[in-house]
Amino acid sequence: MTENKNISAGTPLLEVKDLTRYFDAGYKMQVHAVDHISFKLQKGRTLGLVGESGCGKSSAARTIIRIYEPTQGQIIFMGTDISHMNQKMLKPYRKNMQMIFQDPYASLNARMTVRDIIAEPLLAHGIVRRKEEANEYVYPMLEKVGLTTEHANRYAHEFSGGQRQRVGIARALILHPQLVICDEPISALDVSIQAQVINLLRDFQEEEGTTYLFIAHDLSMVRYVSDEVGVMYLGQIVEMGVSDDIYQHPAHPYTQGLLSSIPIANPKLAREKEGGGIKGDIPSPINPPAGCRFHTRCPYAKPICAEQTPQMKDIGGGHLCACHLMD
Amino acid sequence: MENKWGKLKATNEDREKIWKKNRTFAGDVWFRFRHKPTALAGLIIIALLMFFAVFGPNFTDYSYSKQNLDVVNVPPRMRVYETADGEAYLYITQNMKLLEVSKDGHLGSQLEKVREDSGRYMTIFDYKGTEVALYYGQKPYLVADPETLVIYPHTTVWNHSYLLGTDSLGRDILTRLMYGTRVSLVVAFVAVAVNLIIGIAYGGISGYAGGNADQVMMRIVDIISTIPLTLYVILIMVLLGSGLKSIIIALGTVYWVDMARVVRGQVLSLKQQDFVLAARTIGSPTKTILFQHLVPNCMGSILVTATMLIPSAIFMEAFLGFLGIGLRPPLASLGTMCNDATENLRTCPYQLFFPALVIVLIMFAFNFVGDGLRDALDPKLKK
Repeated sequence: MTENKNISAGTPLLEVKDLTRYFDAGYKMQVHAVDHISFKLQKGRTLGLVGESGCGKSSAARTIIRIYEPTQGQIIFMGTDISHMNQKMLKPYRKNMQMIFQDPYASLNARMTVRDIIAEPLLAHGIVRRKEEANEYVYPMLEKVGLTTEHANRYAHEFSGGQRQRVGIARALILHPQLVICDEPISALDVSIQAQVINLLRDFQEEEGTTYLFIAHDLSMVRYVSDEVGVMYLGQIVEMGVSDDIYQHPAHPYTQGLLSSIPIANPKLAREKEGGGIKGDIPSPINPPAGCRFHTRCPYAKPICAEQTPQMKDIGGGHLCACHLMD
Repeated sequence: MENKWGKLKATNEDREKIWKKNRTFAGDVWFRFRHKPTALAGLIIIALLMFFAVFGPNFTDYSYSKQNLDVVNVPPRMRVYETADGEAYLYITQNMKLLEVSKDGHLGSQLEKVREDSGRYMTIFDYKGTEVALYYGQKPYLVADPETLVIYPHTTVWNHSYLLGTDSLGRDILTRLMYGTRVSLVVAFVAVAVNLIIGIAYGGISGYAGGNADQVMMRIVDIISTIPLTLYVILIMVLLGSGLKSIIIALGTVYWVDMARVVRGQVLSLKQQDFVLAARTIGSPTKTILFQHLVPNCMGSILVTATMLIPSAIFMEAFLGFLGIGLRPPLASLGTMCNDATENLRTCPYQLFFPALVIVLIMFAFNFVGDGLRDALDPKLKK
């Protein structure tokens, strides 16, 4: 992890500008799932996106990888705007942009063998013509993720969760993509397996310089894997910066609340810290609060917070924060 | 491996070993299917019926159309009178003739009529030179000696020439049943084939495309399914003439709508699943997503729907046959046989009983198989 490196240096691999995704909720209402988020991601680095459940992390990831159509904004990947390409034009970019899914039980087709699952990207991008030729790619990949070649003919339902997730990772990495979007890749796994999978992903990054967009709600894990961290609340990024900065000097009240809600193993320390965490429930993303979206739950809310939307400002060393308290 | 609890080395082969027996999905389904007695019974009945329909006609001396007016409406179990010489039996046919029946139950020829003695309500026949009288003064009719008026002793024998009897035109019911079952099974398999091809493709595309395309395609399905099938079949028959071809075309053009609905519903829910999203992020073509990811995962509901549609298609054909708009005579189908049988239901109930029994057997068998498949394909019931 590099210290205090300027986030905006060099041409980013992925740049997201004002990305917005609304879902129709019927009765002319819209869910503001992703609301004008912007960030840059340099090659070979890891950006962690954290936030409560329902804050739009996964929607952002799925919009970036173009499973969802963006409502507004730009996704600039490898120097090209891919936000309005049709699926045919996207295909060469798909080769360089893969995704690891949250639930390893749902993300593998139960009617396919592990070989067919891992070979699918190879077939889709014409790297091999027939399934039989895929073995020379699939077998080394299986070994790499810690499975054996004899697993190739098994069906996904015969594996444990950790093994399945490793199959999912093998599928995502077999094309050696530049960018891998990890949508909570370990939250469905046992704690003992989580470290295994995380270290597997880190090994790949070291070997191949893969870039990760890492989505998670486990804050300690995000700190471990990420170079930079973005904190999302109700579809917006409220704070962003180098991960040590964010964890040691959280600027936004939401980040502070989020970090103070990390459980502490020592009960003495935990008692001293009592009163931490965030009060209240997350407001509905159909009618997000005006002004700063966090003002309904913020302990430091001022009148201006309910009126004006705070802008992202650099509060030093590339640490961005959107809060009126920083003015 | 004796000590399962010991530490394994990282290079050990057993490290990532899966201890469960390696069984493919199909093997799993078959395992659960054969442990359900009704399902297995259904499958066996279907196999036997298929054998009966396909190979049966090779073993009979009759054809579905061969008529023998001497032996009209002969039941499988006959009430017969023993002749004076004790070498044969005599059977009174429905049109007041005497039929020679051998001791082991084979039908011979009709006796020659000598004269009519209407004063004594008798018809006199000639049996090997001796005269025998058919007395029709009161029911049941009797066979007696015309001179001494001694009634011949009566007994019952199984009909060995026509095991299930003959119909009103003297045709063998067993043979006609074979051909009728054949028609039913042909109808069933055509219905299934059309179901699978049109239904899956239509439903799959409709569900995967979604949006307006889905709306339009499903409204078309709604329109098709609201046309009463009987009316529709009659219209097609007017156009193409009656016969098996018209029935198959009628069933084929209409029966896929249920399948399309089922597949569409399944695809709609499946396409939001992670593995389909994963295929899309990979960049797999739509064809791959539809036929490698979506359709195989709907296979359970597809198979169940198909096996449930078979009895309904068979019943529809029988029903049309019964209404008299099915096959053209002398072709036999279970429905037309039932229809023919209703004319002399009171005197010859067996003519209705056997085709009805076969219909019931087919329906039960396919329904049981469908039930069994549904349970076997549901992985939640996995043991």
